[in-house]
Amino acid sequence: MFSLRGCGLCVASSLTKNHLSLARFIGDSAAPLATNFDVVVIGGGHAGTEAAAAAARCGSRTLLLTHRVDTIGQMSCNPSFGGIGKGHLMREVDALDGLCSRICDQSGVHYRVLNRRKGPAVWGLRAQIDRKLYKQNMQKEILNTPLLAVQEGAVEDLILTDPEPEHAGKCRVSGVVLADGSTVHAESVVLTTGTFLRGVIVIGLETHPAGRLGDQPSIGLAQTLEKLGFVVGRLKTGTPPRIAKESVNFSILNKQTPDNPSIPFSFINETVWIKPEDQLPCYLTHTNPRVDEIVLENLHLNSHVKETTRGPRYCPSIESKVLRFPNRLHQVWLEPEGMDSDLIYPQGLSVTLPAELQEKMITCIKGLEKAKIIQPDKSSSVFTYFVSFILWSGYGVQYDYLDPRQITPSLETHLVQRLFLAGQINGTTGYEEAAAQGVIAGINASLRVKRKPPFVVSRTEGYIGVLIDDLTTLGTNEPYRMFTSRAEFRLSLRPDNADSRLTFRGYKEVGCVSQRRYERASWMKSSLEEGISVLKSIEFSSSKWKKLIPAASISIGKSLPLRALDVLKYEEVDMKLLAKAVPEPLKKYIKCRELAERLKIEATYESVLLHQQQEIKEVQQDEALQLPKDLDYLTLRDVSLSYEVREKLHFSRPETIGAASRIPGVTPAAIINLLRFVKTTQQRQMAMNELPKIDQSLCDTDRLEERQL
Amino acid sequence: MWRRFWTLVAGAARGPRSPRSCTRQGSGAPVPGSGATVFALSSGQGRCGIAVIRTSGPASGHALRSLTAPQDLPPARSACLRLLSHPRSGEPLDRALVLWFPGPQSFTGEDCAEFHVHGGPAVVSGVLQALGSVPGLRPAEAGEFTRRAFAHGKLSLTEVEGLADLIHAETEAQRRQALRQLDGELGHLCRAWAKTLTKALAHVEAYIDFSEDDNLEEGVLERVDSQVRELELALSAHLRDARRGQRLRSGAHVVVAGPPNAGKSSLVNLLSRKPVSIVSPEPGTTRDVLETPVDLAGFPALLSDTAGLREGVGPVEQEGVRRARERLEQADLILAVLDASDLASPSSCNFLDTIVTPAGAGNPKENSQRLLLVLNKSDLLPRGGPDPSPNLPPHLLLSCLTGEGLDGLLEALRKELAEVCGDPSTGPLLTRARHQHHLQGCLDALGHYKQTKDLALAAEALRLARGHLGRITGGGGTDEILDIIFRDFCVGK
Repeated sequence: MFSLRGCGLCVASSLTKNHLSLARFIGDSAAPLATNFDVVVIGGGHAGTEAAAAAARCGSRTLLLTHRVDTIGQMSCNPSFGGIGKGHLMREVDALDGLCSRICDQSGVHYRVLNRRKGPAVWGLRAQIDRKLYKQNMQKEILNTPLLAVQEGAVEDLILTDPEPEHAGKCRVSGVVLADGSTVHAESVVLTTGTFLRGVIVIGLETHPAGRLGDQPSIGLAQTLEKLGFVVGRLKTGTPPRIAKESVNFSILNKQTPDNPSIPFSFINETVWIKPEDQLPCYLTHTNPRVDEIVLENLHLNSHVKETTRGPRYCPSIESKVLRFPNRLHQVWLEPEGMDSDLIYPQGLSVTLPAELQEKMITCIKGLEKAKIIQPDKSSSVFTYFVSFILWSGYGVQYDYLDPRQITPSLETHLVQRLFLAGQINGTTGYEEAAAQGVIAGINASLRVKRKPPFVVSRTEGYIGVLIDDLTTLGTNEPYRMFTSRAEFRLSLRPDNADSRLTFRGYKEVGCVSQRRYERASWMKSSLEEGISVLKSIEFSSSKWKKLIPAASISIGKSLPLRALDVLKYEEVDMKLLAKAVPEPLKKYIKCRELAERLKIEATYESVLLHQQQEIKEVQQDEALQLPKDLDYLTLRDVSLSYEVREKLHFSRPETIGAASRIPGVTPAAIINLLRFVKTTQQRQMAMNELPKIDQSLCDTDRLEERQL
Repeated sequence: MWRRFWTLVAGAARGPRSPRSCTRQGSGAPVPGSGATVFALSSGQGRCGIAVIRTSGPASGHALRSLTAPQDLPPARSACLRLLSHPRSGEPLDRALVLWFPGPQSFTGEDCAEFHVHGGPAVVSGVLQALGSVPGLRPAEAGEFTRRAFAHGKLSLTEVEGLADLIHAETEAQRRQALRQLDGELGHLCRAWAKTLTKALAHVEAYIDFSEDDNLEEGVLERVDSQVRELELALSAHLRDARRGQRLRSGAHVVVAGPPNAGKSSLVNLLSRKPVSIVSPEPGTTRDVLETPVDLAGFPALLSDTAGLREGVGPVEQEGVRRARERLEQADLILAVLDASDLASPSSCNFLDTIVTPAGAGNPKENSQRLLLVLNKSDLLPRGGPDPSPNLPPHLLLSCLTGEGLDGLLEALRKELAEVCGDPSTGPLLTRARHQHHLQGCLDALGHYKQTKDLALAAEALRLARGHLGRITGGGGTDEILDIIFRDFCVGK
């Protein structure tokens, strides 16, 4: 918006140049131009499916390119979705009409809300998911999405052309080259290739390059990214071995039953597909000192744990648990993999020991004495690309990721125009984190084609915003996982109100939200507003309330009258109780379970949220102040900034003053200087805009003079 | 911490609201008034007849009424004599002139109030504390009045050019002031409280994020509860005690430093006109920091004599050197003393390299720690000879023995101290009011923690409490919390 380049002549000449080189490039390519899409999404994982579907929902002709159609929607790691923080992300993905929440409502085998007793702001919707069902339902959804085409193929390279002059960036992506040499033209490209970049699988001391059956996928792509100058880091992650269900002695273990009733993930579902009594239980067991011994005795056989590649501070593998917290019993959850699956996923037993030692370790755990580790069936794959020849025992994966400070909050790269990145390639871990980025990348890839302003979720608006803001301003050196403690406005960003935060924006600004969802959210919003004002209007003395609701711990000493909303704040009071005490006009608000629950939640947080609103407003003011995208911080004159600050700003390229102020090391004084610069530029811009008018009037005067002459 | 620090400026520079932010506003609850109300001492430090205390923000009128109850607001922009009393205790504070400037016709463009009180530290401190007890008021941050004025279009862009420098300088001065306050018992207390609170918060956060999936040990919350109870007791005891607490170390902190035997103690004695420090030709005579309150060129100052900076001496002197360096960190003005006849010695060169050059003598813009370089023992130089040290940064020649050069030094001191003392927002009185304000805020938040059963609300109360302590001690970011979580618990999958 503050772009200094605005002079018409300059734009025109660059555009011509752009056209020429584009034409030449297409002419050069040997294969005939087969296809032409608005958005091409590479990868069919959790980020890729969401991105492709979101772009299509926005009205862009979209192509999803994947190695194999039958791996679309594959859950490559744990058989569950959601949890604390992650469940929040899913509700937000759903509020933008994303897929994963709806698919989970059709594919779960054990639904449970975590943190039920800790306050609705931190409830964590979670479910064990049937892998097979999820994949089936996801594929059905993807293959039936209007405007979305799916094609099998390995992407070898990007087609790059001259950059658009009105945007920052080295070059522009205009399509992809497939392994067979054919090309697909695209206006925007979304890269969601997970751990493919130099992925290596580690079991014990053995390492296997993570290519599929020896064909090294996308080497060209990796090289292209490297040549373009992307900064790359390395991360590691792991997964536990799978155990045969019939080999586990469940009878001696703690059983965990699902919630009754099940709470669906999606705002548009009243219930999930399966009754609570038909759902599968989970079981809990613990490690013991013998497990510690086996791990410690065999550290020399375990290169994954010893190596210096950054793992997370939290403990993803049993080895790091034993090393960092010795002499403790660690939890192992035995989770079902699906309705008719004969596999059990031992959550908490991520391990990279050699295969025979894994079995030795597992069989000394209670309930698993006779457990059998299952070898994979050749047709089912563990990771989307690199499968078949590795055992389905526990293993570690090491892979490259691109420093996420190289992307904007709309997930477009700074270096390559119209190239969007989402998912593990940005250094995150988890299906939900990937899905959240996927939706945003898909939406923005589509908006970019339509030359509309990007859709950015602020950290005051959602966990999606927290996730992307953390990544793009701070970067990460461990697999980034969502925790509720990362959100400073946790009380405002709740699972219950994700629709009111995002659905309207999605509908109005982007068009990625269906009419049905929009109407549902609008109804809910107006019902809530009405309900709250009714609750505020009902006032009685505390002694009358006490008489009406004896169960409430209202102290009668207070002389001021109490509003129904204040009474609803008491822990032991809910809408049902309140409606019983004051049937008119409250009766109608308990007809919808969700509405009644949300009124209670709004009452609980009312007074604190009033304070938080002020803070949120202040942060949003900072974020409304945009920095010019094409600023060259290193050479920028007229601004007094230290070299250190310049380098930081140059690398992260914050889009707003708010984002700049969150970059560590950027001082308040530097921010003020930036601000002054922006204001001056703004004024200069305004002056420039007035120039043509002056020209015009000058011309008029000239003409006038001519006539006089 | 300074997320909100300058948002007001941003607000002004933003220009017309984008349509997007309008939609976003639409979904939220109604927003209360525009920002907090701040107060600060806005007249110069030190002993003056009248001190001016200013407030700016929507609660200014309320604050004025609270302190002058039962009288109503005076007419706009005209001075009235009022009895000021503490709004909570009713204790009379001072008879003062008050002025009421309803916005936008005020210095900042917001509602402003001014209290012209009698200048003694006790009165000023009393009024500042009274203002701090009015709901919605807090002590101003560095440069906040100016920023607000800018935000409301009361400053031109050229005036704003100085703003970044001002904020830098004020932040630095405030940091040093806070260091001084935190040096000693109160500092130990605050840091210990902050540590306890951060850990308590991290444990509650861990309980929220991990307790259902991972196994935290038993009794995490119970331990937090008892820690919070103890913290509450300690804070309220301290706040009750605060009045007869610390000695008010008023005035600019001027620290005399240099290599051994440069004549630092002689200079201190000369400036304070009394034998404060023992003077001897033996290097290393002064081993501790000796403080004396003096009137320097008309400004109140606390003059500190320090041990000569050198390495490899006995443990007592080593400790003296450590204290001297600590004191240098906190100084508003450093008087760097060198022996003019001994400039080539290793200790002189070392001092020049480590203290004088980094402070950027003669270039206060680069680093706001001010430094005057004094070359003592000019009497030992040949009469009328050339300047012994043309390559040194700007300096003054002085002979403590003959008194030659003293007038020049006093004139230089006057200029420097006028700069240091001209900025009231960093003075000890406001620092103290700020401490009190944040400690009280912390205590109030801890009270909310106890009352609530909703763990998310309880954590929010601890976050708020930690935020208040963080304003005093620093720290408290998300990563610090996550570090503690992952250090203390085996979590994650």
